[in-house]
Amino acid sequence: MLKRHGHETVLAGLVVIALLVMSFQSAQFLTTGNMLNQGRLMAEVALVALAMTFVIVSGGIDLSVGSTMGLCAILTGVLWQNMGLPLGVVLAIIPIIGLICGLFNGFLIIRVGMPPLIATLGTLALYRGLAEGISQARSVRGYPEWFAGIGQGSILGLPTQIWILGVALVLAGVILGLTRWGRTVQAIGYSEPAAHFAGLPVNATKYAVYAVSGLAASLAAILFVSRVSTTRSDMGTGLELDVITAVVLGGTSIFGGRGTIIGTALGLVLVQVLKNGLSLAGVRGDGTLVLIGVVLVLTLVAGAFMENRVRR
Amino acid sequence: MKYLLTVCALALAAPAHAQWTGGDGAPTSPLPCDGSTVTPEPVAYDGGTVANEGSKAGKPLRVVDIPKLIGIGYFDSSARGVAKGAEALGTVTVTTDGPTQANIDDQITLIDNYITSGVDGILFAANDPVAIAPVLRKALAAGINVVGYDSDAEPDARQWFVNPAEFNGVAKSLIDQLAEGIGPDGSFAIVTSTFTTPNQARWISEMEAYQQACYPDMTWLETVEAQEDNILSFNQATTLINKYGEDLNGIVGMTSVATPAAAEAVTQAGLCGETTVIGLATPNAMKPYVASDCVKSAVLWDTGAMGAAAVMALRAAADGTLKPGDTSFDAGDLGTLQIAHGSQILLGAPTVFTSANINDFDF
Repeated sequence: MLKRHGHETVLAGLVVIALLVMSFQSAQFLTTGNMLNQGRLMAEVALVALAMTFVIVSGGIDLSVGSTMGLCAILTGVLWQNMGLPLGVVLAIIPIIGLICGLFNGFLIIRVGMPPLIATLGTLALYRGLAEGISQARSVRGYPEWFAGIGQGSILGLPTQIWILGVALVLAGVILGLTRWGRTVQAIGYSEPAAHFAGLPVNATKYAVYAVSGLAASLAAILFVSRVSTTRSDMGTGLELDVITAVVLGGTSIFGGRGTIIGTALGLVLVQVLKNGLSLAGVRGDGTLVLIGVVLVLTLVAGAFMENRVRR
Repeated sequence: MKYLLTVCALALAAPAHAQWTGGDGAPTSPLPCDGSTVTPEPVAYDGGTVANEGSKAGKPLRVVDIPKLIGIGYFDSSARGVAKGAEALGTVTVTTDGPTQANIDDQITLIDNYITSGVDGILFAANDPVAIAPVLRKALAAGINVVGYDSDAEPDARQWFVNPAEFNGVAKSLIDQLAEGIGPDGSFAIVTSTFTTPNQARWISEMEAYQQACYPDMTWLETVEAQEDNILSFNQATTLINKYGEDLNGIVGMTSVATPAAAEAVTQAGLCGETTVIGLATPNAMKPYVASDCVKSAVLWDTGAMGAAAVMALRAAADGTLKPGDTSFDAGDLGTLQIAHGSQILLGAPTVFTSANINDFDF
């Protein structure tokens, strides 16, 4: 148990400690209202982080998710307001655009043979540039009431985002941990040539992984646009860093092969608990950033130490 | 794929905004060219209402001040004004906290957390007027008094807004100063922050309208982005000088970072006196260039007074002494401020800093 899941154990312990400490710091922290609200606020980062776990486990990285989100957000506004398409149709088109953005990343990485870091660094600039160019940096506002329900509404007393996140979490967890396809992703991450010679569909799997990453970014865009009821071309700036922080904090190896959805979920929760709890306790934003950096470094060191010791 | 997307982008973008200057495309209301004043039409109160109104009258208030971002001179000076105003009131404790980047999501999350922590009042400068509105409405519904300054939200999402300078007033000041430097038929370029920054986009729209109405022979060469970054602003200004050469008579800086950087670029290019630099800037940053006579004037409002007025308005709104329908607001040392456009407290005309008065200011 400890040998395989040392990191997740450390992390779960940290989450419990953080929850306890924060609830002593502020009476408003451990309330149902606050917890549900945090679920709403973390939805965009969480959705993309689930998909990013697959990307990083496969030995890749996708830096373009924030820009993909920005591009999809802008296209939501432009297709609806400037091109006059019904909003329902637009909501069906946007995920396809996200998929295309992801597939293009896959094309650069698999067919052109660029390293994922470089390829997605390029598309980070490309997609953001397209978003700015298409929108001419203008906002689109005035969305209908029903659309705001996605990002601001509730179903059976729980924020819409919690339902979406719950489904995505279970789906991602099952696929990565329990299916043959999930094991293929891990095999590619451990050793791409070995996976290739084992007869696994390496290229098709990698295409799918990047496509899903783009898809997740486009869904995050819809959630975000609906939550703030406006579109701007700078939406999602820096999203990739929050996402990668959560995934790596969750114990996914940046070199590929190793990583779990539970770890990513714990990483997401820990970051959100720290951000929210410290803010409620009256710590300023810059102090929170420092603490998250410290926690990230210490957790990784502790996780590595624990697993080494058990292995010996 | 890349070409396809680029072609799509151009096809979508080109017809909508053929003549693009970096403005926001919203309707404009340029002031008359001769400087005659127009009295704004009285508008009924259009601000929001706070739940449990009056329950905080006379009680001490815990207030949080959330600027667009922290760590830049402009909002440091407004935060000092807020602190000073709170100290003068004596019954308000205020902390300033903000995102480290001008990011709408970070700002919204921060406000949301402060609502949960149960503050009595929120002061804000919005990174986006619409995006911030839902969370502010939530604050009002939770009985928290909400007052904006510098950058507004949708009116019904806050009670009052301290407007440091009206957009068309700033536009008129800038273009008039520019015309003095480059003449009514000169050509000029603009260095702005980013095309997505609402205030800058609004000023540019108003400047365009005022320039077309009052100085139709001026040529608007280009608007370039330089974020709020010193080095980038300097580089962009230098690029403009090299690109247009003698055709460039003036540069307008739209941020307190861009204007001194443009002045530095003109100084280093040895074009002092030939290329006019004007713009929005804090007086301290402009003193060297005004002293060397490279820059004749800069425009800004008193950021400290803006912060102080905001915290005083919040106290008055909580006490019920500032209420819908009022046409003026007694802001202590700052004098009596006019209320217009429904729920905006006007700080007055922007200050034009010249060699005659710039040493009287220190911020």
